Amino acid sequence: MPAYDFPGGIYPPERKERSNQAPLRTAPLPSEVTLPMSQHTGKAALPCVNVGDAVKTGTLVARRDGMVSANVHASISGTVIEINDSVIIIQGDGEDRWATLPPLDWRTAERDTLLERLDDSGLIGLGGAGFPTYIKAQVNEHHAIDTLVVNAAECEPYITADDLTLRHYAADVLEGAQLLARLCGAAHIIVGVEDNKPEAIQALQALLTVSADSEPLASVTLKIIETRYPSGGERQLIKKLLNREVPSGGLPADIGVLCHNPGTLLAALHAVRDGQPLVARVVTLTGDAIIQPGNYWVRVGTSVDALLEHVGVAHERLHQVVVGGPMMGTPLTSLEIPVTKTTNCLIAATKEELPPAPAEAPCIRCGACESVCPAQLLPQQLHWYARAENDAALEAHHLFDCIECGACSYVCPSAIPLVQDYRSSKQRIRHKRIETAKAEHAKHRFEFRQSRLAREEAEKKARRQARLAQQQSASSDATGTQTAPVADLRSLRIAQTAAKAAVRKAEKVLARAAAQDPQQRHDDLETQLATAQENLKAAEARLAEARAASEQKEAP
Amino acid sequence: MSDSFSWWGVLSAVGVLTGLGITFGALLGMASARFKGEENPLVEKIDALLPQTQCGQCGYPGCRPYAEAINQGDAINKCPPGGEATILALADMLGRDPAPLDGEAASEDTVAYIREAECIGCTKCIQACPVDAIIGAAKQMHTVIEDECTGCDLCVAPCPVDCIDMLPRRKPLTQWEPIVSDRQPLRSAHAGL
Repeated sequence: MPAYDFPGGIYPPERKERSNQAPLRTAPLPSEVTLPMSQHTGKAALPCVNVGDAVKTGTLVARRDGMVSANVHASISGTVIEINDSVIIIQGDGEDRWATLPPLDWRTAERDTLLERLDDSGLIGLGGAGFPTYIKAQVNEHHAIDTLVVNAAECEPYITADDLTLRHYAADVLEGAQLLARLCGAAHIIVGVEDNKPEAIQALQALLTVSADSEPLASVTLKIIETRYPSGGERQLIKKLLNREVPSGGLPADIGVLCHNPGTLLAALHAVRDGQPLVARVVTLTGDAIIQPGNYWVRVGTSVDALLEHVGVAHERLHQVVVGGPMMGTPLTSLEIPVTKTTNCLIAATKEELPPAPAEAPCIRCGACESVCPAQLLPQQLHWYARAENDAALEAHHLFDCIECGACSYVCPSAIPLVQDYRSSKQRIRHKRIETAKAEHAKHRFEFRQSRLAREEAEKKARRQARLAQQQSASSDATGTQTAPVADLRSLRIAQTAAKAAVRKAEKVLARAAAQDPQQRHDDLETQLATAQENLKAAEARLAEARAASEQKEAP
Repeated sequence: MSDSFSWWGVLSAVGVLTGLGITFGALLGMASARFKGEENPLVEKIDALLPQTQCGQCGYPGCRPYAEAINQGDAINKCPPGGEATILALADMLGRDPAPLDGEAASEDTVAYIREAECIGCTKCIQACPVDAIIGAAKQMHTVIEDECTGCDLCVAPCPVDCIDMLPRRKPLTQWEPIVSDRQPLRSAHAGL
């Protein structure tokens, strides 16, 4: 065992044996799939098919919108029957005809071709966060990556999807890891597995001894770690395997590490080697109310209801269905929802298995939450501040470093739903940030409009003055006493210089921002620059007007 | 004691202190002229707390003028879009007593929508919009840029054919708000483990 470790953690009952006994099976082809446009982190994809179109399995049905987004493909062959804001529904023809992309050899193909393939295949992290893989694969353009971590810890109770994936496809997962290691330039691959998966470990070890003589591109190490929740957290696993700490608010890439889930690596290999887009994934179906628990290959978009019917549910005992694990998952209020690319587990639980929580009692300041927090936060303080909606204090106590693992609520003797409080506080703070940014944007636009109106007014006045001066000099009528009072030329000149300086400053700020982040749009800064320019023009017009007036006065 | 007293000592001390005074006075004077802040910082702070809808319901032509008026001593309860939260934030910052809102609080976030078939292209709404969120030209159909619209209502009154509606703003799926349900997931899950 390595000497390093992450702080905190808990040992909840694992209950993995229910689903890891049976081999990996394939769920029947659904008769209809519902494909959400937003299965990934970032912007929702945009539909690129029409109602009535015939599609094959693997046909692109929605294109990514912007950088952080992912393509969506038809997961069965059939006809598109409905498209709305958030989903595309496909009626299957039961034939499962495939539309695959040409196979590539990742060892010889160009890097750009491979990245394009990952992008085209709609690949996202299958571990849960759903971050587009093609972006993660080119992170080495900004950060030097030395190690690729295969996150096979799977610390959450009940879930065995990665375990079964490794047992059946260990070689493919490692090949996928080599592929992504090549793309991100990592020289080492470390597979982190918890010691409660002996079969998966065996499969990997057998493979490592065999492939030692062939020339691997990156060196592969297998590290077996103690079973403790949440060792599968990205930051926790990196700390445990490499003794490196991801900075607060930073990413593993900042310290030269990239983490991938085995499922993602397998899907990446399928996308490149076989030309198959991401249309199916391994889902753990478990819980006491399920008659045939186990892991299944499930097409993305299959309804949860149909899937549970297939494996058989004891309806009279079913209390609730949880998507994800019992620690971080969410219970479903309706079973009429589809399996998405990030659905790794469905627990059909009985009341005895996951009973309703006891009533919440007041915090007794026992400090148990603090000792189990793997992010070394102060859950108790966060609890008080979250209840008081004291957002400034929450941010000062690093609320956004909370990984929502649920260890604190698990140990809380008062049964306080701490993580729920943190989640809603995070959402409230994010909402507030959006509102503030919007208000700022509206303010800049308002200021721009004000200065534009002022400039138009000043220019109009200047033109009128010029006309007046011309008329007077033409008629040489020397009754110039009723002309507008001559403004103080000196103060106007100062105003003009100040406006010029403001324009220069705005230009500088915009240039600096553009140099720092060329991909970002800087609308607000551009508006500010335009406002400064309008102000300058207005100042010039006023100065011209005053000059004309003073000349007119001196002329007679 | 008296033999150690000398006028020279007194004078030099007075001289040195006067010199220091003059030097630092001049330095401070120059610094204040050189680094003079153009804006009143308090007005900026008040402005930052206002919602920037620029709706004019406070009686001033925009949020900034109202911020200046508050700085001059005007009441802090004249901003309906900001509502209770803005009043409390202003009261907190300025050390004044919070007062009940003068006017009706905005019920929801709205956005202007022009029924384009009925628009006659008079440009009156364009002139009324404080944030340039309406595009169009004389005798051409106008439309609202949804992302820029602050929902201030100012374009509704000038429209001669009443073709502008204030509709509730569509929220993207990512901007969810937590629902507190009786089936609390994490607690129930944990209690059983």
